Amino acid sequence: MASRSFVRVLSAALSLLLILVCSVAAQTPPKVIKIGAVYPLTGNIASTGLDCKRGVDLAVDIINGKYDLDLPLAKTAGLPNLGGAKIEIVYADTKGDPRNGMSEAERLITSEKVVAMIGAYQSAVTKTASQITERLKIPYVCSDSSSPTLTDRGYKYFYRVSPHDDIFARDQFQFLKDLEKKTGQKVQTVAVLYENTEFGSQAGKAYKRFAAEFGYKVVADITYSANATDVTSEVSKLIVSKPDVLMHASYITDAILFTKTFKEKGFQPKGILTMAGYIEPGYLDAIKADGNYVIVRSTFALDLGKNKPLVTKVNTLFKKKYGIDMSENAARSFMAPFVVADAINRAKSTDPEAMVKALNETNITGNQVLYPWQGIKFDPQSHQNIYARGTLVQVLNQEYITVWPFDAASKPVVWPFPEWKGRK
Amino acid sequence: MPDQLLQQLVDGLLIGLMYSLVAIGLTLIWGVMNIVNFAHGEFLMLGMFTSFWLFTLYGIDPIFSIPICFVGMFIMGTLIYRFIVSKVMKGPMLAQLVVTFGVSIFISNLAVFFWTPDFRLLPATILQGTWQVGGITLSVPKVAASVGSIIASVCVLIFMTRTITGKAILATEMDRDAALLMGINTERINSLSFGIGTALVGVAGAFLSTYYYIYPQVGGLFGTIAFCVVALGGFGSIEGAFIAGILVGLAQTLGGFFFDPSYKYAIVFSIYLITIWIRPKGLLGW
Amino acid sequence: MLLIAFPLVISQSVHIHVMILVFMFGMLGVAWNIMGGYAGMFSFGQAAFFGIGAYTSSYLSVAHGVNPWIGLVAGGCAAALVAAAIGYPCSSLRGHYFAIASIAFAEIVRIVFNNWQTVGAAEGLTLSMQNESFANFLFNSSKLPYYYIMLAFLLLSLAVCYFVATSKMGYYFRAIKESHKIAEVMGVNVVLYRLMAIMISAFLSAMAGTFYAQYVLYIDPGSVMVLATSVQIVLISMLGGAGSIMGPVIGAAILIPASEYTRITLGYKGTGVDMLIYGLLITLISMYYPDGVWKLLSKIGGKTRRSVNS
Repeated sequence: MASRSFVRVLSAALSLLLILVCSVAAQTPPKVIKIGAVYPLTGNIASTGLDCKRGVDLAVDIINGKYDLDLPLAKTAGLPNLGGAKIEIVYADTKGDPRNGMSEAERLITSEKVVAMIGAYQSAVTKTASQITERLKIPYVCSDSSSPTLTDRGYKYFYRVSPHDDIFARDQFQFLKDLEKKTGQKVQTVAVLYENTEFGSQAGKAYKRFAAEFGYKVVADITYSANATDVTSEVSKLIVSKPDVLMHASYITDAILFTKTFKEKGFQPKGILTMAGYIEPGYLDAIKADGNYVIVRSTFALDLGKNKPLVTKVNTLFKKKYGIDMSENAARSFMAPFVVADAINRAKSTDPEAMVKALNETNITGNQVLYPWQGIKFDPQSHQNIYARGTLVQVLNQEYITVWPFDAASKPVVWPFPEWKGRK
Repeated sequence: MPDQLLQQLVDGLLIGLMYSLVAIGLTLIWGVMNIVNFAHGEFLMLGMFTSFWLFTLYGIDPIFSIPICFVGMFIMGTLIYRFIVSKVMKGPMLAQLVVTFGVSIFISNLAVFFWTPDFRLLPATILQGTWQVGGITLSVPKVAASVGSIIASVCVLIFMTRTITGKAILATEMDRDAALLMGINTERINSLSFGIGTALVGVAGAFLSTYYYIYPQVGGLFGTIAFCVVALGGFGSIEGAFIAGILVGLAQTLGGFFFDPSYKYAIVFSIYLITIWIRPKGLLGW
Repeated sequence: MLLIAFPLVISQSVHIHVMILVFMFGMLGVAWNIMGGYAGMFSFGQAAFFGIGAYTSSYLSVAHGVNPWIGLVAGGCAAALVAAAIGYPCSSLRGHYFAIASIAFAEIVRIVFNNWQTVGAAEGLTLSMQNESFANFLFNSSKLPYYYIMLAFLLLSLAVCYFVATSKMGYYFRAIKESHKIAEVMGVNVVLYRLMAIMISAFLSAMAGTFYAQYVLYIDPGSVMVLATSVQIVLISMLGGAGSIMGPVIGAAILIPASEYTRITLGYKGTGVDMLIYGLLITLISMYYPDGVWKLLSKIGGKTRRSVNS
């Protein structure tokens, strides 16, 4: 009798143990949190889209793994507040068309059940994609589209991490003023050149507005098609207007074509200040030494690593994974997954309203970002990162070197623009 | 600005002659077979890539890769004709249009698949730099392309009018049925013309690669302008394509400089429309 | 019939979206067919009318608060007027010359809109998401209304096409397509009927444009007035069967899902494989079914009917 009751107790204990083990086992496999990413992965601008993807993929590696880096969630595997849940990015190709931005964003949300969205590089596509996320009440964190209008809309679910073109344009004029103060080099006239889609024309408007604000005279205002067969008329017009400085908002194809035409026609302003296209890796790959001395707006440059070892460490990882250095596009797209994951982690949930609350409370400190910012904190109205700012880099010896703000510069800026003829 | 005017004229001429070179092949195919070869821009792209890879992998300068481009693209053109285009020759015009369109999508994405969408530029080749002639700046690669265009046009004209095969092509262009009655093997003429047309645009690509960036979608705008040039000149007419190319180049450059660069292609297309209203078969078309 | 029940059964928004696009391109194809398949004017510039429709209704809505349904009609009229203006001087153009002229026209329109500040130039127009209702032609919570509206538009355009094809007008169109001279000898006012074909085609295309604007809520010249859209419309009509009423719809039903689903399943890799398949599909269909798939289907239909009767 004693042995029978012993057996009963033992079997009860064993079954209890079994239940315990099973329930623990059922809890242990960490969840997967899906985030949607819309990018132009095929089509005219595919090389840029694929570049952005590199940044995003590396970010996901770091979040999901254990890395000794000063980035949010790097040191833990996955999201600690959600039992080590991992992030998975579900990509969709937009082909650069706003219509696809809308339909792919919707598909990712309704079919793939993503809990947040990132992307889409081209501002026109981000516009329609974020309209859908706003309609469907899903958070969208953008770190690579630069049109100011995106954060002018007062959307509840849309956040932007990176600077926008108004900031970038303003920077370039501030640089001219700082340059004058520092070296006495005076600039009076400016030529404004921009490609004719949403990005370029917004940037062109910003350039003209700030030129007036800062007291510079605009002597040429030229717009063109990004994949024109030839730009000799445009460059001839620039030469005739004799500007001190050229400000150029372009994509990569026109950056290449214009640089070649500048050289061919000997266009010689005191400085060439540019946006976007000139900082794509494909630009220097193609144009090589002819790209030297161009100044580009940036948020990221490898030489920031001198004051911020995080940059060098991340670049080492990037190089190990892809065999090339991290580009500015990849660096910008890199940040969005961290912001999303950080918010989900603090919210301890993927419920959209909880995520929005957490995003509104985002306060990532400056030492945890790749850029020379005070950090990441979103303005309560526009949801623009109030600390987002740009730097200016100059191409020196086919590398991007930070030259402004002067206190963050690693080398002094070369000014004026050296003559084409004298170069080696 | 008289000195600017001369510079603009020269610039327009240089770009125009390149358009002519691109258009000659197209007008030949169009005239003989009454097919608008939508894949023409893609063949231009292939010519550019051929020149690029020959240079990057084997160090052959574009000047020397021109004959290789010619032969290679000729073979490709004939093959595409034999296996694809010839099947739709008896069908409606739309089918022919669409088949070349399908081929163009296929080729440009094949290029993406194998070579990635990245942009390439040929580094300094033999033809590079600029010449200064009396205050006018001339880009050496563009001048070379223009010379090539002139030589190619002259060669094609001589071939068409002085050789038996060439005359056969002309005959087929003018009246297909009569040519058949005369015993001309029009299938072979078709194949030959498609091959030559493709070879010519391949050569244009080789020249273009010396100063323009290379990537799978580069054929787009050049192709559209080529259609305009051919129609403007009168389809089938080699001389027409040549002159029209120059006109388009001049219109684009002068319009862009003296009027507004953002409208320069609108000016080109407007000139096409106005010309076609006055002369519905193009400048020299029949 | 089946189409009406479809979205009630398949609720995934992707598939509904694809069907909406099929209907929209089907309508654009039918519109093209009226001037192309029936009247012989092969237009490669339909995107211009599509865009004019989209812009007219959107501009009126954004800048002047005009109701989009009114804007729809206004857009159609605007497009028809522009069509008449460009169609008149092009009255004697035929074949390839007309086609290239249509490309030239469409590109000019696109460039003009791209520089025209009043309608947003390159930045385009963004429509408001507020106040969803049928009256406002705006639905946020579900795609179904869009689905049914586009289906209705498509049926409307098919009705117009049927009416045109079986009426005297259609007879004249076909005569004009054969030969202008023959038509004139028959007493047909060639210029007038060509204009009518173009205007009807433009009006219907513009309606589709307004729908698009109300659906995507953002338009810019680079997305609504591009050559690629015009070419796709021709492809659809041709592959489906130009000169037949249902042809373009069949074409849209084949090509649109082909391009959408290949992009969804393969596009994200960035290798271009999706477009390779699309290009191959187009090439093969035009090689083996040059008269269009509709002819093939009707042949099969005819055979089965005969075998049933015998």
